[in-house]
Amino acid sequence: MARKRRKPQADAKMDMTPMIDVVFQLIIFFVTTADLQAKSLDTAVRMAMAPNGPVEEVKDPRTVTVDVDKDGKISIMRTPLTENQLLAALVNARNVSGQGTPVVIRGDVTTSHEDIKRVMDLCGKAGLWKLRFAALKEKAS
Amino acid sequence: MARERKRPEAGEAELSMTPMIDVVFQLLIYFIVTTKPIDVVTNLDVFRPAPDKSTPKDTPPPNLVRLGVYKDGYTVNESPATLPVLDQALARLAALDANQTIMITVSSFSEHGQLIKALDLCAKNGLKSLSIVSASN
Repeated sequence: MARKRRKPQADAKMDMTPMIDVVFQLIIFFVTTADLQAKSLDTAVRMAMAPNGPVEEVKDPRTVTVDVDKDGKISIMRTPLTENQLLAALVNARNVSGQGTPVVIRGDVTTSHEDIKRVMDLCGKAGLWKLRFAALKEKAS
Repeated sequence: MARERKRPEAGEAELSMTPMIDVVFQLLIYFIVTTKPIDVVTNLDVFRPAPDKSTPKDTPPPNLVRLGVYKDGYTVNESPATLPVLDQALARLAALDANQTIMITVSSFSEHGQLIKALDLCAKNGLKSLSIVSASN
């Protein structure tokens, strides 16, 4: 009798260590990856509001995002670029992922159109025609 | 033999979960406090006529709608318009034909935010075919 009762008790004890290990692994994974997306964008750029803009369904993984700040400085992934460097980067993007590669221009609200035009002209020069302007649909409170 | 082995194992099974739950709650609270809500971003598609083409401004096709974005305001087919007027005009145009091309001429001195506002109104009224021409004035 006594032995029979003990058996289910032996089943009930579970080693928690592997589970905790896995959970911590997951936490560390998400903590380290979550910020990457946000850090690739220039926070100095305050985008204009476009409350009626279409909702982004699936993001094209080939997308090149070009930031243009209010002084007209161009950067990609927070790396400041000269016009020639941008052209080289765009030509490279076209050679690697084709002419249909979308270019998203993240311009500041107060950026002069002159500076946006420069980026658009370089896209044209590089043979990229799919241009999009990034804007804020909803501002997080 | 068998019994002696089982006993210490059974004693280990009474593992205190309290510290682990404490730590997990600490982590949970930390992440809730530190995470910032993310802005919802939208992308407005435009076409850009190739710069080497002969200037389309000289001979615009009759059904082409011309929209101007200047530093001090907007124009629809060369007549000045405010944003609400622009919205009304675009709604009327979209009701006729949502696929018609809107040619947006943007002054170099205008701010990017103004262009985005105009593009936003086009998106609101379902106009998809937008081409952007930069003017030097």
